[in-house]
Amino acid sequence: MNFILAWRNIWRNKVRSLLIMSSVALGLFAGIFVLALYEGMLRARVRTVIDREVAHLQIHHPRFKDDYDPAFLLGDRDSLLQRLSGVPSVRFTAWRSVTQAMLSTATGSAGVQIFGVLPGEENQVSRLGDKVVEGINLDPAKRNALLVGRKLAEKMKLKLGSKVVLTFTDRDQNITAGAFRVTGIYKTDNTPLDELQVYVNHHTLNEYLAIGHGGHEVAIILNSDKEVESAKQVVQGLFPGQKVMTWKENSPETDYMVTSVDQFSYIIIVIIMIALAFGIINTMLMAVLERTHEIGMLTALGMNRPKVFNLILTETILLTVVGVPVGFLVTWLTVGHFSKAGIDISSFSGAAMSGFGFSSMIYPEFPWRSIPVVMAIVACTALVSALFPSLRAIKLQPADALRL
Amino acid sequence: MDTVIDAHDISRIFNPETIPVIAVNHVHLHLERGEFTALVGPSGSGKTTLLNLIGGLDRPDSGSILIDGVDITRLSPNQLINFRLRNIGFVFQSFNLIPVLTAKENVELIMQLQHKNKKEVDERVRSLFEQIGLADKMNERPSKLSGGQQQRVAVARALASKPKFVLADEPTANLDSKSASNLLDIMALLNQEENITFIFSTHDARVIERARRVITLVDGQVHSDTARVETSMQH
Repeated sequence: MNFILAWRNIWRNKVRSLLIMSSVALGLFAGIFVLALYEGMLRARVRTVIDREVAHLQIHHPRFKDDYDPAFLLGDRDSLLQRLSGVPSVRFTAWRSVTQAMLSTATGSAGVQIFGVLPGEENQVSRLGDKVVEGINLDPAKRNALLVGRKLAEKMKLKLGSKVVLTFTDRDQNITAGAFRVTGIYKTDNTPLDELQVYVNHHTLNEYLAIGHGGHEVAIILNSDKEVESAKQVVQGLFPGQKVMTWKENSPETDYMVTSVDQFSYIIIVIIMIALAFGIINTMLMAVLERTHEIGMLTALGMNRPKVFNLILTETILLTVVGVPVGFLVTWLTVGHFSKAGIDISSFSGAAMSGFGFSSMIYPEFPWRSIPVVMAIVACTALVSALFPSLRAIKLQPADALRL
Repeated sequence: MDTVIDAHDISRIFNPETIPVIAVNHVHLHLERGEFTALVGPSGSGKTTLLNLIGGLDRPDSGSILIDGVDITRLSPNQLINFRLRNIGFVFQSFNLIPVLTAKENVELIMQLQHKNKKEVDERVRSLFEQIGLADKMNERPSKLSGGQQQRVAVARALASKPKFVLADEPTANLDSKSASNLLDIMALLNQEENITFIFSTHDARVIERARRVITLVDGQVHSDTARVETSMQH
């Protein structure tokens, strides 16, 4: 009976109750849609980090990452790659030489990171060929071919065919330099990397570095993202003298972002719900004040305080939770549409987004994993909102209330 | 006879620290089971306050009130609510049915608060609606009932818990004469057949005429207490 009474009570003032329910649905929609946007952005970012930047795993000499000294080489390429090919979770591998350099043109210079790559392998691991927006991908036959990012090209005023000089130290710490010609310009969603990383043919860089067929890095793509930790253990076991790092270790800022943005999203939902709680409290207080006489009568007839408290609590919870499925449904439908169509924010924050490595095209994803937390926040909102009106109701003295 | 209410020297003063209003002033009241009593007096004489005190809706500033031997002035607020639920029926002037519940649900509510089982509730509710002559209106909301019908449902609700006595505060004040007469017939019948004790506060001459005992209050004190002859019930 308490539930029936509560349910019918909330429909006494249909407009007022519908307004509150709509507010809850709208607030929930706003909160979950923000979560869906972040979810979509983060998933895309993680995908980019894995598929186009650092792969699932990387193997280096344990000291190589300290200061990128070209002397810290991995072992024999063929033997290393052959052993990796025996690991079931490994899908693709790419052998790279890496060094820090100064890129100079007639008009200026900039610090860069040179990747000596084998285009065939690199296309599989980091999809290098797909990133080229002008010119062509590296051609092993063109010895001094150079692929630069669009941001670097703009900064250094480089065009296809522009000549640059790359200066760096070889494995014996001798300063060496080579002339290269821009044969391609690539572009990714990560502007800072576009400005930093340049690609040359592996054998060319190795000649300048005097490291023969050696390499500094093996990038590994696995069959599934879920296998990262287990594959790391296996690969580390195969090469105990090398250092195996996951994408989270190679791109800690992305991992940190995933965690912190989740928390940030929940804070947004809490703020929305706090704002809604005031509306709910106001509505329920009005309902209690309007029914002072009736509540007094119920107490007079023998409805005890816990039951009166429970009645107002149930009404408040119903008022809050009825909007929840509507909010979820609207969000699910909206997210479903935009997860396919995407939301293009390039016109107002595209540059800022790519500055942080995010695409300006966002494909939101319904944040299923966050729903329990959202539900807990909604439940807390309902309970907290119910508290004040319920306490007000049980403080009513029947004789006083009946006089009104 | 069997004592139901024994109020001893009770007083109730409102605003004692500002402008004191002595609503009930050293009243002694003794009611036996099966009485059909009218509490009369001019406005402000303390009728409603006295009903509130003996109904446990308010507490006296002094004195004691024994209901079936239990001093309700010593009960905690929660004990008092529970005591009211099991021992006292109320009929209010303005019906006070819950508008979102049907007539039947309004009556059932009290029995459900008493945790009665469904079968017992169904039987009692059906019997009460037959007694008040509204068996065909059980599933109507109060807004679909006339004032007289609503007050009859209120009587059924007051009786649902099988109380020791029923307090009715001006029960006929908002009714036309036909409805008032009809309501009084029902209450008189219940009083005679089921020996239910009724106490009314009233200005209504029709009610006073039907009462077997009339207690007159003036300025919060019992001015007169008159037992009427049994024949006055035969209307």
